[in-house]
Amino acid sequence: MTAVAEPRAAPLLRPTLSLNARLLPALLLLPCLTWIAFFFLAPLILMCWRSLASEGFSLEAYSVLFTSPLFTKVMVTTVKTAAIATVFALLLAYPLAYALTISGSKVRALILVFVLIPYWVDIIVRSFSWLILLGDNGMVNKALMGLGIVSAPLQLLYNPFSVLLAMVQILLPLTTVTLFGGMLRIDRTLVTAAKIHGASEWQAFRTVFFPLSLPGVYGAGLLVFVLALGFYVTPALLGSPRETMIAQTIMVEASQLLDWPQASAAGAVLLIITTSIAAIYNRYFSLDRLWGGSDK
Amino acid sequence: MTEFAAAAMASGAQLRLRQLTKAFGAAKAVDQISLDVPAGAFVSLLGPSGSGKTTTLNLIAGFLTPDSGDILLDERSIADVPPHKRNIGMVFQSYSLFPHMTVADNVGFPLRMRTQLSRQDARRRIDEMLALVQLGHLGTRYPRQLSGGQQQRVAMARALVSHPRLLLMDEPLGALDKKLREQMQVEIKRIHRSVGTTVIYVTHDQTEALTMSDVVVVMHQARVSQVGSPRVLYEAPANLFVADFLGDSNLLNATVAQICGDEFAVKIGSGETIRVARGTSAATQGGRAVLLIRPEDISVTTTAERAESQDVLAGTIRDISYHGDTFRLDVAVGTDVLKVKVARERGAGMERGDRVFLTWRSGVVRLLPAPDGMNDADNGDKR
Amino acid sequence: MSVTARSVGLSTAVLAVLIYLIFPVIVVVATSFSSGNFLVFPPPGFSLRWYESIASDPEWVSALWVTLKVGSLSALIAVLLGVPAAFALVRHVIPAKALLNALILCALVTPPIVTALSTYLFFVPLGLVNTVVGLACAHAVSGMPFVVINTSASLRSADINLERAAVIHGAHPLWAVLRITLPIISPGIVIGGIFAFVHSAHELLVATFVLGGVGKPVAVKIWSGVQATSDPTIAAASAILIGLAIFTFASAAATQSLAKRRTL
Repeated sequence: MTAVAEPRAAPLLRPTLSLNARLLPALLLLPCLTWIAFFFLAPLILMCWRSLASEGFSLEAYSVLFTSPLFTKVMVTTVKTAAIATVFALLLAYPLAYALTISGSKVRALILVFVLIPYWVDIIVRSFSWLILLGDNGMVNKALMGLGIVSAPLQLLYNPFSVLLAMVQILLPLTTVTLFGGMLRIDRTLVTAAKIHGASEWQAFRTVFFPLSLPGVYGAGLLVFVLALGFYVTPALLGSPRETMIAQTIMVEASQLLDWPQASAAGAVLLIITTSIAAIYNRYFSLDRLWGGSDK
Repeated sequence: MTEFAAAAMASGAQLRLRQLTKAFGAAKAVDQISLDVPAGAFVSLLGPSGSGKTTTLNLIAGFLTPDSGDILLDERSIADVPPHKRNIGMVFQSYSLFPHMTVADNVGFPLRMRTQLSRQDARRRIDEMLALVQLGHLGTRYPRQLSGGQQQRVAMARALVSHPRLLLMDEPLGALDKKLREQMQVEIKRIHRSVGTTVIYVTHDQTEALTMSDVVVVMHQARVSQVGSPRVLYEAPANLFVADFLGDSNLLNATVAQICGDEFAVKIGSGETIRVARGTSAATQGGRAVLLIRPEDISVTTTAERAESQDVLAGTIRDISYHGDTFRLDVAVGTDVLKVKVARERGAGMERGDRVFLTWRSGVVRLLPAPDGMNDADNGDKR
Repeated sequence: MSVTARSVGLSTAVLAVLIYLIFPVIVVVATSFSSGNFLVFPPPGFSLRWYESIASDPEWVSALWVTLKVGSLSALIAVLLGVPAAFALVRHVIPAKALLNALILCALVTPPIVTALSTYLFFVPLGLVNTVVGLACAHAVSGMPFVVINTSASLRSADINLERAAVIHGAHPLWAVLRITLPIISPGIVIGGIFAFVHSAHELLVATFVLGGVGKPVAVKIWSGVQATSDPTIAAASAILIGLAIFTFASAAATQSLAKRRTL
């Protein structure tokens, strides 16, 4: 067979992509995006609009938010509670996620089942199970009294302790899975290399694995914090009025006081806070990484 | 026209690529590729990963749309034809057999999709194809019950059953071990000779390309580096990339000392002068070029005696390694180190530190263009 | 510290956390079978009376029906819209892909009270308040990310060459997607749909605003029950929800492995 000769320059043909090829991805995405725009974004915009008073334009609702002692206290409580819950969730989830990372597939599957089962239970149930456990007649008090440690039931409910206990438990599955995802991405051969060069198990962990896992920890922390800010059921059920979080206040404003501008303003502020934090998270971590998506 | 060529014309398509370009974002995956493939030829697209060969194949198949340029099958443009209407057969690296269909149903798939053949006729064609790939007895099995080599043969049968005039193969042997790969290479060539269809075969393995192809297209950084028969590419590479990519090579930087008609006298690093034909270099007196000589073309002698037409270089053996059938030597000549292959008996007596003389038949040395800046592949494009 | 001591320490910590996680579930399920009148753990005796009282109470039964209807409808919408979106995101090159991804997922990080309030304000003029369809439409928004994420994961790991092999040999591209690729990624789609369903069944705040009156779903009924009474009916209702979630998941898993056994 003779060698092929390359032909001399021919005129350019077909300058652009066919119409079909360009339109297809847009057509596939359109229904989904339109739905989200209509049933999610439009309502949010409407809510922000309504926060500017029902008649005429007024920022009164916002000024009330930032000056009224009730609102400021609730906001502070919300941020404090969410922050503490986040820290504890991270502290407990870290060893769990680490165990998942180093386990073989059988043990891993078993632990994951335990971690994910609570997910199948709704938040109301998970919260009021603590009511049962921590009440005056609950298991904890019965055990304490039975062992003679106390003579009268301890007030374990309706305080920050019970709220945090339940919140951390509810946030734990997501925190664990998020941290686990991040830890999986760490190159374990680096730890092995450290050990070969003389590091003990603990040193290898402290100087190699832990620092590498920190970005994942920050990411998970941001995410969990955002979710914790919006908690409603747990503080409502297990906390006293002093533990009220912003979601409850908005609920009261809307459903009982029917003060739509006020409720909307508080909602808008909460929305802006959570969106900003989520945007920061997305900039550094990208939301879809949570569930194993690639960076592309 | 030979009988074979005539038969090939009947069953194989002529394929032309005209200045095909495809970019992903800012990076060009395929840059102004033009190619003429004669009917019935077995053509390999050879290159390292990222060279654009798989993208080119996907453009020919129609899975990607070119940004500009055209693709002509039997002189008719198919660039606007969707892939399922192009009447091409294709074989993939991961076999891609439909797991829920039997082997026979897999092979018959193109017939069900493309033709209106009766059950009997289809059955006959399927049996024909299975016999061609020597799997006649396995029609009722499922893909998961077959070995890798058998699955690949079923994939070939499926690709050929509707007698396509063009067959595309995307690194089909990449997933097989060495022995099996060599067997399958022979199989594929045999099937190609029987069927006569035009084949475009993508591979990064140069041995595969050299042993199987009628024509090899070497690709580098989204462009065609050189096109030619395996012998031409190996023995007369047009540029540095091709010379280096195919086989072992000694590439020495040289400057042109003197020009005598078509023969150059070039000076290499050690100061010695070597005579070489012009080759593809465009260098003038005083200009830079690259000297190519293959390790197997160098003879090692212990004396400086040689014929008048031959050049000789003196050097010292820096390293010697045993490769079963040959010894490989690293011989230091001045600042250059030349790789030399010697037969086992000759090499048995040699040791590190020995002074030796290297010589070769005139004509085996070639002169190549010097790399200018970074893109040495460009030097081959215009030829 | 020796290696064994470390792993014992880690194992104990892990076990403790797992018990902390699982315990409330056990408490609720156990209490639902209580023979006593109060929400007490451990329960004094075994009895099915709370389940009987739910089954015979028309309000509970209708609440369960509403939950089923809303959940299935929202999961269906999420699948119909989310699967094509996943194809677009995984298979095609699109500008601003990261932004689009974030948009689809942002429903998951928005505080539920904000979603609930805004949806209510939006639905009132549209007349969608107090309708099953309305709630399903709202829940579909938060169900979609689950479908998109799981379908995308399945798509990414599926061999695209199988679809290409069909197309190059004559199959219409749409046929190849429906008959070759879709069956392969169906586990991902089904899991996404289930997550969407479960999310809808558990969701409280949007449901309270949109369908909180007559014809409320189970989650809302449990919530009002929790604040009002303290008998184990609530525990039984919650246990039913848990059972429903597990049942859906198990049957989907069973169908999947049956299908797999047929093709592999």
